Amino acid sequence: MELQPVYIQVLALAIFAIGLLTAISRRNLFFVLMGVELALNAVNLSFIGFAKTLPAEQSVAGQIVPLFSIAVAAAEACVGFAMVIMLFRKKESVDSDNYSNMKG
Amino acid sequence: MLALIYFIILAVIALGAAVCVFLSRHPLYGALSLVTSMVALAGIYGLVGSPFLGVIQIMVYAGAIMMLVTFVIMVLNGARDSKTPMFDKVSLFVLPAVLLLAGVVGFAFVRAPLAFDATALRGSVSLTSETLFNMAQGGPGYFLLFEVLGLLLLSAMVAAVLLAKKRLGTVESENTEESH
Repeated sequence: MELQPVYIQVLALAIFAIGLLTAISRRNLFFVLMGVELALNAVNLSFIGFAKTLPAEQSVAGQIVPLFSIAVAAAEACVGFAMVIMLFRKKESVDSDNYSNMKG
Repeated sequence: MLALIYFIILAVIALGAAVCVFLSRHPLYGALSLVTSMVALAGIYGLVGSPFLGVIQIMVYAGAIMMLVTFVIMVLNGARDSKTPMFDKVSLFVLPAVLLLAGVVGFAFVRAPLAFDATALRGSVSLTSETLFNMAQGGPGYFLLFEVLGLLLLSAMVAAVLLAKKRLGTVESENTEESH
């Protein structure tokens, strides 16, 4: 029994599914953003798992792309939580059902 | 064999912490579970052979981003409306949909012929930085992306400051400033 790339991919898939579930089904705005972070983490793990199945030069590219993905996640968290602060000032609530003004 | 044992331990920690994020009621407990999950994932990065990304994961994700998250939760005192239910009726339909998606993709993963390449390079700090800042004529050109990333982070910072500050110059904000 050795470590197989499939195990890493299945772990990444499981964490991505939990992150997606958290982002869609929780009602608290904080948990929606934390679910997005969890899903981004799982994608980074998947990138690194696939990078190790590539030959020499290409495997380095697969280990640099997650670096950019982490930086974009940092920017996303920065703007996302600023929006949460703005919304919270307006309605004093973090329940996402209170922000359904544009519902048809 | 030893790598597999370490992987299973770290995977169980990461998955359990992720489930804790999904099920915890207070946002602060969720954030701490998320930090645990990220540190376990950093361990997996180091185990698989990308120690540079593992360190970046701990520094940027578990350090900077989660610090921002806990800071915002504490500033807004997110426990204030803990009376709202965690889930609603829509969640009942989301759960089977996501499980079905995971099942289909997992089936594709298990059937795919994946194997570790023996010539895959270890993503150490020196190798990663050499590739990242390779400014040769025919090089990969990642340094351009790196510069663009600096611009992106700067604009995100400006956007966050503009969104989160109290409106200056309007009547309400002047009134609240007087009342302080």
